Amino acid sequence: MVIRCEHLVKIYQTADAFRALDDVSLEVKKGEFVSIMGPSGCGKSTLLNILGLLDEPTNGEYFLNGAPTAHMKDSKRSQARWKNIGFIFQSFNLMPHLSVLENIALPMRYSNLPHKEILPRARELAIRIGLGDKLTNTPLQLSGGQCQRVACARALANRPNLILADEPTGNLDSKASTDILTLLQELNREGITIVMVTHDPQIAQGTHRTIYMKDGKIL
Amino acid sequence: MKLPDLISTGWTEIRLHKMRSFLSVFAIAIGVATFFYTLSVLSQRYRDIGRAADIAGKGRIDVKVDYPLSLQQYHMLLNALPKGSSVSLETDAETDTISYKNKKLAGFILIGVLPTFQDSTFVYDIEGRFINWKDIENKHLVAVVTVYPREKDEERVHPLYFSSETADIILLSDFSKRVNLLNQQVMIGTLPFTVVGLLHAPPIEKDYRLPEDREYFLEVYLPYPVWYDISSLWRQDFSTRIRVVTGKDSNVRQAASILVSFLRSQFGAEFKPQLKFFQDTLRRYNREAWHGLKTMIFMGIVAMIAGGIGIMNVTMAIIFSRTKEIGIRRALGASRRDILFQFITEALLLGLCGAILGMAIGYISLLYMAEGTGQMTFSWWVVAASILIALTTSFFFALYPAYQAALLKPVNALKYE
Ligand SMILES: Nc1ncnc2c1ncn2[C@@H]1O[C@H](COP(=O)(O)OP(=O)(O)O)[C@@H](O)[C@H]1O
Ligand SMILES: [Mg+2]
Repeated sequence: MVIRCEHLVKIYQTADAFRALDDVSLEVKKGEFVSIMGPSGCGKSTLLNILGLLDEPTNGEYFLNGAPTAHMKDSKRSQARWKNIGFIFQSFNLMPHLSVLENIALPMRYSNLPHKEILPRARELAIRIGLGDKLTNTPLQLSGGQCQRVACARALANRPNLILADEPTGNLDSKASTDILTLLQELNREGITIVMVTHDPQIAQGTHRTIYMKDGKIL
Repeated sequence: MKLPDLISTGWTEIRLHKMRSFLSVFAIAIGVATFFYTLSVLSQRYRDIGRAADIAGKGRIDVKVDYPLSLQQYHMLLNALPKGSSVSLETDAETDTISYKNKKLAGFILIGVLPTFQDSTFVYDIEGRFINWKDIENKHLVAVVTVYPREKDEERVHPLYFSSETADIILLSDFSKRVNLLNQQVMIGTLPFTVVGLLHAPPIEKDYRLPEDREYFLEVYLPYPVWYDISSLWRQDFSTRIRVVTGKDSNVRQAASILVSFLRSQFGAEFKPQLKFFQDTLRRYNREAWHGLKTMIFMGIVAMIAGGIGIMNVTMAIIFSRTKEIGIRRALGASRRDILFQFITEALLLGLCGAILGMAIGYISLLYMAEGTGQMTFSWWVVAASILIALTTSFFFALYPAYQAALLKPVNALKYE
């Protein structure tokens, strides 16, 4: 089991103590490709951020690869992020001043990979996603689809066993969207577990299982 | 994140924000320049004082008494003092003229000394020999003359110019530069003296004596007893400067009490000699060197604080403008420590640039200021201290903002636009 959540609750400390997640329990097996759908504001991103150790639940337990995450120290959580998890965001979140190669290499800078292996591996990944000829370009010189492919390569940098994608096709046209889905499916076939938030039913169709959410609950 | 990555990341950011970086580098540089300049001058002064101490020897005491001392008294004092001590006696100064051939030479002072005069604060190159104990015991009529270095443009004057000199009285300082008086007979008063030695004084910038140990008149040295023989013709009151050098700092107080009881035994129990300890003189010089630069150091500190606030401001600004970036890095695996180190590295790089620029400015002002005095020092410890000061300032002023950046929650940072 890659992901196991039990009764997750997330309460935002706003005036009305907003419950963004309300008793969410979820299991994702190794090698699964799961999509999450639901109306805007229902708590999809909140859930994904907790799964990605970017945020902590107010209540409930989250086990990542079987290990409880509740009392992990910052250094352990950070290590788990680069080691086990690859993120893909709707708005790409690339470093605007860094080249394609350096963007892909970034997660490796925080890993324990020997320094001289970083750039060769980044180049390999760039070639794999079909941007071998754009290594020195910056994100501003790329199309949206190309940016998201760079983000995918970056997510793969440290060979994670889990990819978390928050509306990865939300900013892309349909052609680029299908490309990204195809890439994710390919990665999934290689054994990477994927959890993806999407608004697009057609994209969700391409996954093994779809979870529907509403008002912080799983339906 | 490893150090090379930290540095290259920091450097990239500095280059991306040239103006902002330049301003904080500049502020740091002003502070460093002040420190660099001040510390260089301070180190030069301390070095000068140290050299003066070296040539003075350890455990030096000076005292002036209103009586001449006999050789017998000299030996009594020397035997009473700790082993290894040296005692030098120096008479008053007397002005006189020397006749050489048919010329009258003036503009010097006559001083009677013992051979131990050479044991402390003696900076001359001797041509010939100095006064020795045989001269003292046998009251030889010998003299040793100080010669000052030729000044550059005077060297071009032909010696013949002086042989045709018609003036009645010639300055000895001028004359001795052109005519080698070594082994020549000169008349002092009515007595014929042989010049057995010339003392070549070092050029002023190589004269490491304290200002108060330098002589400001040309000196002609005679054997101590001989001086009294020729001076007693026209004066009654004599004084003598006694200089004791023990060779060790540890036994100075002991030597001082021996000296005082010796003087009382010789000149009466009420005699209150005023001892001057060279250690005290050095201490005074050190204090003065420090006092003169206190204001400069203060200004340096103010400038450094201004620089530090600049660094702090930049780091704060960076955190606001780069919150999103911090979030991304955190998502990709950066720990709090990585973020903290990244911003501190960036500040340290700014500090280092400031140190380099500041030292360049400081060095140029040193060169400029040194033009007058002909003295310039450059010490590596000052370079090290300047860099250290710049880095420490940058570090401490960057610490708080960098810590704030490290505390940002990854989700919140990521949502920031
Ligand atoms: N930091 C926050 N503080 C307060 N409320 C928040 C915060 N983050 C998200 N929310 C609220 O929580 C709900 C769920 O948000 P989110 O998980 O981003 O929704 P979505 O399903 O569209 O991704 C929304 O109503 C949002 O307004
Ligand atoms: Mg969302």
